Formats: sequence, C-alpha cells, structure tokens
Amino acid sequence: MNLLSRRLTAILVPIGLAILFIQFAQLIPELTTPQFENAKDYIMQRGYEETGAKNLVSAIYLDYRLFDSLFEAGILLITVVGIVFMAKSDEDVY
Amino acid sequence: MKQSILVITISRIMLPFVFLYGFYIILHGDLSPGGGFQGGAILATGFLLTYFIDDERRVDLSRLLRREKYLFLALLLTGTLSAITRGQPFTNFLSPDFPLEIRRIFFLLLNVLISLKVALGLTAIVETFLEEGQE
Repeated sequence: MNLLSRRLTAILVPIGLAILFIQFAQLIPELTTPQFENAKDYIMQRGYEETGAKNLVSAIYLDYRLFDSLFEAGILLITVVGIVFMAKSDEDVY
Repeated sequence: MKQSILVITISRIMLPFVFLYGFYIILHGDLSPGGGFQGGAILATGFLLTYFIDDERRVDLSRLLRREKYLFLALLLTGTLSAITRGQPFTNFLSPDFPLEIRRIFFLLLNVLISLKVALGLTAIVETFLEEGQE
C-alpha cells in the first residue's frame, strides 16, 4: 500500500507539474506579431510605453519575463541554503 | 586573518561610498544600466569590507536565511499581485492608465526586494566560508 501510494505520487507529481508549467507558459505574452518581425523590434518600439521603464533590460526582466526573474531569485535562495548545508559540520545543521 | 592598519583605515573610508553606490544602482535600476541583482552584489561587497575592519564580527546565519525566505515570499506576492488588480499575473500591478512616474513604484519595489535578497544571500555565503575557515 505504502509502495503503491509512493509510486502513484511519483507519477502524478510530474504530470501535475507539467500541467502547471504549460499553463504558466501560455500566460507569458507572445512578442512576435505580424506587425513586428522579431521581439527586438517589438520591445524597442513599445517597451517604454507598455512598461514605463527607460532601461529596456529592466522592462524585460521585471515585466515581460517577470515569471523567470522570480524563480531565478528562488534558485539563488536554494543555492545559498545548499552551500550552508554542505559547508556546516554535521552537528549544527539548521 | 592578518590585520593591517592600512587596510582597516582604507576600508573605513570606502565603506559609506560603497553602500551609497549600491543604493544608487538599485534605485536607478529602471533608468540606467544596473538593477536589483547588481546593486545587491555591491551591497554584499560593502558587507565584506566590514570583515576587513573587524574580523571578530559575526552574524547569525539562521536569521539571515530566514529573512531571505521571507523576502522571497514577498517577491512572489508582489509578482502575483497583478492577478488581483489587473487580471493577469506576472506583470505590473498598476494599470497602464496611471502616469509613468507612478507605475515606476513597481520597478522600485521589485528592485529593492531583489537587491536585499541577493545581498543577504551573498552575505550568508561569505559568512559560512569565514566561520568554517576558522576551525
């Protein structure tokens, strides 16, 4: 029973994560339209008025691609926790 | 660690300027090159300078990590707040009708949160290495 539930979890959790990932990926707006050939033209022309950031790098990583930036910050958190966990001697792990 | 009066004096002079430059980079993140991550790294460098001044200085690691976790939650909240106010997540929570000067609040908030998080993270790494190196 325990083994069965564990295997079910091992199958269901990746499927759930994949569904969530597809859902979120569809929320990110598509920047290539017939009017603009590639994303560069779109951001150069519309970036300032759509986001309000004069620095277009900021416009991308804090507005168009905010989803990526948020979890990039999460990666940093996990990295720091991992380094502290591995560097600490065994008796005083948090 | 070797102590030198020259390093200590120069570090004391440099420290306020390093922090000032870090905050400048953060607060002008949406106007000029730079941003939250870079400014946070500069703040962490300033924190590293305090070890040159006083190498007996210690910070509680678990407190740093706990604060970093809370900052990450605040970041996620700020990012998803637009799902309530505008109906689509992961974008500016102020609608495009506002003037650009007011919509800038979003960038300021995110840059400050990211920079504090990066500064705390890099400080925790440096602190870990220093603590383990002394044993």
